[in-house]
Amino acid sequence: MIKIKDLTKNFKDKVAVEGLSLNIRPGVVTGFLGPNGAGKSTTMKMILDLIKPTQGEVTIDGKYYKDLKNTTSKIGALIDGNAVNPNLTARQHLELIATAGGIAIEQVENMLYKTGLSKVKSNPIGEFSLGMRQRLGIAAALLGEPETVILDEPFNGLDVDGIHWLRQLAKDLARQGKAVLISSHLMSEVQAVAERIIVLAKGKLIADMTIEEMSKKSLSAYIKVKSENNELLSSLLKKKGAFIQNANDENLHIRKMTLKQIGIMAKESHIALFELKEMQPSLEELFVELTEGKVEYISTKDIRERKDGRK
Amino acid sequence: MKNLIQSEIKKIFFLKFSKNYLISMIAMGLALGIIFSLTTNVTQGKAITELSPMDIVSTNMLGVDLANVMLIIFTALSISKEFSTDAIYVSLVVTPNRKKFFASKMITYFLLSIVVSIVMVALTYLTSQLILSVHGMSRIAFQNANLRQFLLGVSVMPVFYCLLAVAATFIFESSGGSITFSLGIMAIPALIKMFSSTIQKLVMPILPQSAIHSLSGVAEQNSFESLGIFFSICILLAWIILVSLIAVVKFQKQDI
Repeated sequence: MIKIKDLTKNFKDKVAVEGLSLNIRPGVVTGFLGPNGAGKSTTMKMILDLIKPTQGEVTIDGKYYKDLKNTTSKIGALIDGNAVNPNLTARQHLELIATAGGIAIEQVENMLYKTGLSKVKSNPIGEFSLGMRQRLGIAAALLGEPETVILDEPFNGLDVDGIHWLRQLAKDLARQGKAVLISSHLMSEVQAVAERIIVLAKGKLIADMTIEEMSKKSLSAYIKVKSENNELLSSLLKKKGAFIQNANDENLHIRKMTLKQIGIMAKESHIALFELKEMQPSLEELFVELTEGKVEYISTKDIRERKDGRK
Repeated sequence: MKNLIQSEIKKIFFLKFSKNYLISMIAMGLALGIIFSLTTNVTQGKAITELSPMDIVSTNMLGVDLANVMLIIFTALSISKEFSTDAIYVSLVVTPNRKKFFASKMITYFLLSIVVSIVMVALTYLTSQLILSVHGMSRIAFQNANLRQFLLGVSVMPVFYCLLAVAATFIFESSGGSITFSLGIMAIPALIKMFSSTIQKLVMPILPQSAIHSLSGVAEQNSFESLGIFFSICILLAWIILVSLIAVVKFQKQDI
């Protein structure tokens, strides 16, 4: 497990990441979201020791990354699909990594096949599109069959097929028990693949929980109700502590109550229901709420864990 | 470490550019040596037959100087490419121990420069023998102690400057910085000779060129360049260690 504790990075006068504490858990795809300049890439680079933290630390199974043996079996990462020598072929690029990491050369062919690059393996990378370079970067990240996979903006440049492939791949990796951390500015992609979301804004952690937990807390989540007597139902629900918004002649938008509670109350009051539906916010709506600081999204359980970790 | 060195060797030889450059470097070095040897009447004002066999070998060995400069450029270009393309991310994700990564580069280029140096010096020596034979002059035997010392000293030069260029590339992270630094160190003695003898006496003995000239036996006795074998080796090692230390400290602390 990757543990990040009080991680801070200052670049001259600019604070890129401030007091970040979180854990990257195995068996889960974690989405890493944030606006441009939020500190996502800086955090990922600090995990990989490419950027030195001003304060705080990152440990992988209790060790610093630079002290790990067989790093390729611990962490595989795609930081930048363009970070390759364009004069090498795809096969040569992977073979260099395999040789340095002590990985069997047969694994190179295997990864080229898995990432759909077998046909172009002997072409210079300079001729590759961004999508093909992203696939090559992902192949490089997975070459050592690592326990943790870190992918920085992997959807960039991928075509529709590539996006579907990557979604499935991320889910499969998590199913195999690997920790998968994916940063993206494409919220729809993260929503399609991630179970857990970490949101950074201005270098600070503003959300760290499952999408389900986040939706429940969202102002954009509500239960839509249409009944034979909205007025009566509304007053009964208010007495039970429900928050009712946007009520009109047709629909009630109810918060702070579950579907079951509303259904039972309607039944006991002999009010016929025509519609009872849970409305989930899109990740985009959640993201806007988060970055505008409307809701506190760090679960108390996680705060407790983090505080315990500091002791 | 063995894996890393193997990977670094592949990094060099996977590229067509590297193979072509290294072959061209040897060919051009040899050609330049032969040109210098055959044009002594223009460059030295003496016909080739007026020169001693040792002078002809020495003139021919000027081709190794060209190979040396070209090897510095090759080293700087090859390593800086990793920084300029950001491929260094991939390298350091696989090898996060930066000391080890730096050491693997140094060892790889040390081995490469030794091979280049031996090939260059051996071929230049053979072409010198050929030139001597063609001009009906007596060939110089390898058993000659002065020749062996000269060849050894000349062989050290590409190895030393190549290692200097490796460390300099890590310091400057650019081929331009590395080449300027390495060639600058080579050119300093020419500049120092413009200063007073007091300054020359202070600076010349600590410059790598003096150590290389002393090792090859071409430093004139009682000149500021003249150092003992042991002191010459110490000077060269001190330069490599000092520049490498600066490179490692900088590389370990820096954000990539």
